[in-house]
Amino acid sequence: MHSTLVRAQNVFGFFTTVAFCTAILTALSVLLTAQEPSAKIELRNVQVVKGRPHYYSPKKEEYAHIKFDLDADFTSLFNWNTKQLFVWVVATYPSSDASSLSQAVIWDTIINSHSQTHPFNPLQLFTKPPPPKKSSKANKPSAKKPKADPEPGMIHLKNTKPKYQITDVSGILSERTNVTLEIGWNVQPWVGALTWTLGKGQALGRWKGVDGGKSKAFDMPPLKKKSVGSETVVSSEETPQAAEASAVI
Amino acid sequence: MADELLQQAQELFEGQIDFEGQKQTELISTILLAVSGLLAFILGFALQNVYVTLWTGLGGAALAFLVVVPPYPFYNKSPERWLPSGSGMAGSGIEIDGKKIN
Repeated sequence: MHSTLVRAQNVFGFFTTVAFCTAILTALSVLLTAQEPSAKIELRNVQVVKGRPHYYSPKKEEYAHIKFDLDADFTSLFNWNTKQLFVWVVATYPSSDASSLSQAVIWDTIINSHSQTHPFNPLQLFTKPPPPKKSSKANKPSAKKPKADPEPGMIHLKNTKPKYQITDVSGILSERTNVTLEIGWNVQPWVGALTWTLGKGQALGRWKGVDGGKSKAFDMPPLKKKSVGSETVVSSEETPQAAEASAVI
Repeated sequence: MADELLQQAQELFEGQIDFEGQKQTELISTILLAVSGLLAFILGFALQNVYVTLWTGLGGAALAFLVVVPPYPFYNKSPERWLPSGSGMAGSGIEIDGKKIN
C-alpha cells in the first residue's frame, strides 16, 4: 500500500471479491421465498392443414394450428432476484416409433419483472417528479404512484391463436393420438442460476411444483379439406389467418 | 531545474505514505468494502429490490476508493526517520570485532 497505484489495485481487487460474494448471497437467497405456481390449460380448437415451410420450399408438410385457453398464476415465481420469466406452451405427442415423445412449442412469451420495467435509480430521489400532465380539477397531485402496477405473472388467455404452427419430422400430423398441451417456464435472474419448470409433484425446499399445467389428451383431426387450387404457405414472418390461404402460382 | 520538477511530479504521482499509514489504509479499506457488501445484500433483501443492492455496493466501493487511495496527509503522520545521506561514509562508527571500519 506504499503508493497510490498499489492502493488502488488492492482496493479494486478486494472490491471484486466482495461483489462476487454479494452476488452469491443474492443468488442463494431466492431459495428462501416460497413458490407455488399453478396453471390451467385447455384445448379450444385444432386444425391440420397442408402447407409449405416457406414460399419456395418444394416439400409440403402438414401443419397443426392449435388454439387454447390458458389461466396461470406465476406471481410467486417472481422474487427480488427475478429479471424475466419466459413461459411457453408445448404440444407433446408420441412419435412415429412409439418409444419417444415429440414436442413442439406452439406459444411463448416473456414477462418482465417490476425491477426490469421500473429500475430504481438513486438520482430519482434528488429530482422532483414531473408535474402531472392533465390538469386535474379537484384532486391534488398525489405523492405516491397514481395506480399500483399489477403483480406480473398472471396470465389469462382465451381462445388464443398460437404463435407457431407445428409440424412433425415425418410431415404427417393428422390423426395422431394422445396429444397434450403442457406449460413450461424459465426464470431468468439478475444474478445466479437459471431455473426451469418444476413438474407436478416435484418440490425443491420451499418451491412447489406446478399445480395443473397439463391439458387433457386429445387427438389431431384429419386433414382439413381445402378448396381446389389454393394452398397454405407458412412462413416464419406471417401467420396466415384461419380462413385465408394464398393462391399457388 | 528540470530534475526538481520531475522529482516533484514523481512524488505527486507516487503518493507515498508511511508504514503506519499503510496499516491504516489496509484496515480501513477491508472494513469499508466488507461492510458495504454485507449492507448492500441486507438492504436489498429487506427492501426486495435488486437495484438497492447494486447502488449501495457501488456507493460503498466508491467511498472506500475516496478514503483510501489518495495520499492524505493524515496517513503521513509518523514518517520514518532515515539516517542523513552520506552517513555511510567515514565516521559513522561501524564496528566489527572490536575494530572500527571506515
